Amino acid sequence: MASFGDAQPTIRQKLLRLNWELVLLIVLTASIGFAMLYSAANGNFDPWASRQISRFSVGLAMMLVVALIDIRFWLRASYPIYGLCLALLAAVEIMGSIGMGAQRWLDLGFFQLQPSEVMKIAVILALARYFHGFDVDEAGRLRNLWIPVLIVVAPIALVLRQPDLGTAMVVAMVGGSMFWLGGARLWQFGVVAAGVAAAVPVAWQFLHAYQKQRIFTFLNPENDPLGSGYHILQSKIALGSGGMFGKGFLEGTQSHLNFLPEKQTDFIFTMLAEEFGLIGGVGLIALYGLLIAYGIFIAFRCRSQFARLLAMGLSVNFFLYVFINIAMVMGILPVVGVPLPLISYGGTAMLTVLIGFGLIMSCWLHRDMHINRRGGLA
Amino acid sequence: MIRRIKMESTKKQAIETARNRLLIGGALMAAAFLVVGARLFDIVVLNENEDLRRAAARDIVRPDIMARADIVDRNGILLATSLPTASLFANPHKVSDPASAATRIVEVLPDLSEEVVAARLSADKGFVWLRRNLTPTQQFEINRLGIPGLDFEEEERRVYPHGRLAGHIIGFTNVDNAGLAGIEQSMDAAISGAKEPLKLSIDIRVQQIVRQELAAQIEKFKAIGGGGIVLDVRTGEVISMVSLPDFDPNAPAQAPDETRFNRITLGVYELGSVFKIFNHAIALETGAASMSKSYDATKPIKISRFRISDYHPENRWLTVPEIFKLSSNIGSAKMALDIGSERQRKYLGHLGLLRRTSIELPEQSMPMIPARWREINTMTISYGHGIAVSPLHLASAVAATVNGGILRPATLIRAKTPETGGVQVFSAETSDKMRRLLRLVVENGTGRNADAPGYLVGGKTGTAEKQVNGSYKRNALISSFVGVFPATDPRFVVYIMIDEPKGIRESFGYATGGWTAAPVVGGVIKRMAPLMGIKPLDETAPEIVRALNVNLTAGPAEGRPNATN
Repeated sequence: MASFGDAQPTIRQKLLRLNWELVLLIVLTASIGFAMLYSAANGNFDPWASRQISRFSVGLAMMLVVALIDIRFWLRASYPIYGLCLALLAAVEIMGSIGMGAQRWLDLGFFQLQPSEVMKIAVILALARYFHGFDVDEAGRLRNLWIPVLIVVAPIALVLRQPDLGTAMVVAMVGGSMFWLGGARLWQFGVVAAGVAAAVPVAWQFLHAYQKQRIFTFLNPENDPLGSGYHILQSKIALGSGGMFGKGFLEGTQSHLNFLPEKQTDFIFTMLAEEFGLIGGVGLIALYGLLIAYGIFIAFRCRSQFARLLAMGLSVNFFLYVFINIAMVMGILPVVGVPLPLISYGGTAMLTVLIGFGLIMSCWLHRDMHINRRGGLA
Repeated sequence: MIRRIKMESTKKQAIETARNRLLIGGALMAAAFLVVGARLFDIVVLNENEDLRRAAARDIVRPDIMARADIVDRNGILLATSLPTASLFANPHKVSDPASAATRIVEVLPDLSEEVVAARLSADKGFVWLRRNLTPTQQFEINRLGIPGLDFEEEERRVYPHGRLAGHIIGFTNVDNAGLAGIEQSMDAAISGAKEPLKLSIDIRVQQIVRQELAAQIEKFKAIGGGGIVLDVRTGEVISMVSLPDFDPNAPAQAPDETRFNRITLGVYELGSVFKIFNHAIALETGAASMSKSYDATKPIKISRFRISDYHPENRWLTVPEIFKLSSNIGSAKMALDIGSERQRKYLGHLGLLRRTSIELPEQSMPMIPARWREINTMTISYGHGIAVSPLHLASAVAATVNGGILRPATLIRAKTPETGGVQVFSAETSDKMRRLLRLVVENGTGRNADAPGYLVGGKTGTAEKQVNGSYKRNALISSFVGVFPATDPRFVVYIMIDEPKGIRESFGYATGGWTAAPVVGGVIKRMAPLMGIKPLDETAPEIVRALNVNLTAGPAEGRPNATN
């Protein structure tokens, strides 16, 4: 047990051991975002870039704080955090019914919180906590899978009622990956997949008209180039018009002439590819790949199941953001309103992504820690 | 010990499995990124984009299908079209706070009154209109208010891109898109539901020329209004029809009533000396007079309480061409007596001057004709008094006189097959003589101001005193000029009338047709002839001189007493 002499390192030591290269990668990615927001406002810091920078600064500080906190705290806090998020989500459901249409925000006065974003992290924490209690063999037993299924299904049900199909599917996918990492058997995934396939025709009836429309449009955007196919068609045109090296910073015509919708949020990747071309687009994807690889690497190095699952779950979550967004603007996936993490304009997504990285870094700082099933030192 | 090792190995194996799964997950993610990267490469470099762009371009030009067809001119220029708009309505039962909703709505639509909106929103009904035909920006702003209970009805709104330029012809519709005037009303059934645009006979370029020239002259002579019409003499197609003052059909409700009055079809006027065209034509056709016959115009005619005199008295015997050239009322009246009331009436009827025209406009009037056709009426009608017709009637009858003698009904619809049917009113021979006489007036008679070099304009002036409360007013004139060109083989009739022009210094105080309307006709012809592809001719060419020659001297044995007598 002597090797655990420095199991309780000081904050100073922790800061020194922090993987600053990861922080640097994050700052670099976010800076690309600032540049794109500056360009989206036709060369102005107002209204997007300036606010995004201040949000990022706050988020970065929060990330470091989260990273320095002992991972056992996070393990013990997992279920309460999950419970709180579920309550917030329910609160949105209740208050949202007062407003018009989809209400996804909770007005905290100083900040508009989108509980469904935070919920993704809470689900990862809760599942990591749950599977931490079992080894891979045990976790695959059906009797042990009831509770985690509930953990995933409850928020999905609430998010679907908002209705936000995109987020619901992301939560489902994150949950699924946690099951996989936690030890669920392959055949169990097969059963779920078959069940989903069977449920699709039934679920179709419950989809909103706009959701059906999005799926139709996804299947054939050229059918309705001025209506719901407009986004994706303009996005493809802008992507193609960038060419190999792009038109240059601030020179993207499709985006600056407002052919490209939502260029500061969901379609910011298109703008980047228009201005910096294939090189810029592939470069950004590579940067994201590096960030995710870093997360996987950390997960790999963790000794405790909780940290491993947490780091991997958060990496998967981050990956899903990136993949769904980029695939969406290229027309590989339907338009589901998922932002490009660290780059798209928006507060909650930025904060949750940074908190997620904070947790990954906490996993790194406490990677060698053996944690028993209740969260104590082994 | 063995158990412990076994436990250790199971644990190790568990970690191994966990790590394997982690790696598989990572590999899956990497694969996904590869797919995305490949797709980006595909879009950017392999460039399926051309097809996309073409697809977008093709579909953007696809027009919306509208409930009401477009109206276009003879060259396909858009005169009336429908735009999709949204109209705002509310379900008052669903509006929770009518007062605050009204305040916010009025902020976006300031032309609405807050009280009225609030009252409508608190009505005990399931449906109230708030505002028809919002602009897209207004619709966006209303949507942004997020007031429950408001909704939009997709509608169409008629738009007239040329505004007032063809307002009297096209007319307008009400908010429910029912035609209320002009072609919109008369062709309502044909326009609603039609897929092809309705093609009119008018040429918007000529319309613009006529309106511009006429408006300038009205301004110059301080007239109260005027009208102009250009008619294709071969087909009866109306090429241009202008009535001033006019109105913008995009906002007919704001237009004063008098601006909506179409002087060309709805107004009937005593048009004066232009009627001598028909008097001469009837006399020549019936044989009541020949080109070499002379009439005594030495002194005014007195008949009961009436007195017929000449505007520019010559006080001598005049030949038939001279009567026309100098516009002698005395000579015309005497010719009319030779024709006789019955024949005059019959021919005027054949020329369509005694009945409604068949033009496709609801705004039409019956000509005003004498109840009893006495001798005095016959005489005054010969020079265009005592009968009131619309300018369209006149232009149409003039076209029939010069085109070889065939009356073709005037129409605003583009003819599918040119020169169809028609009624022969005069012989080709009479028509030829009339063309010579009309050219004579412009060459060296009262219509010299209408000439357009090379286009062989023929024409006749008309200056009539307006009748107000049963008596003629000396200073209120309807001054007009009817021109045809080219006189050798006329293609178009151009008729211009100016309502109450005032004499100016430049016209030596005159406000007659020769001074006011004739220059407009000349100006219009100079500008429209090249557009219609009519080439200028050499007026001194022998065949043209021969074709238009008129012998002004009297024949030896024609009525006139021997000078030596």
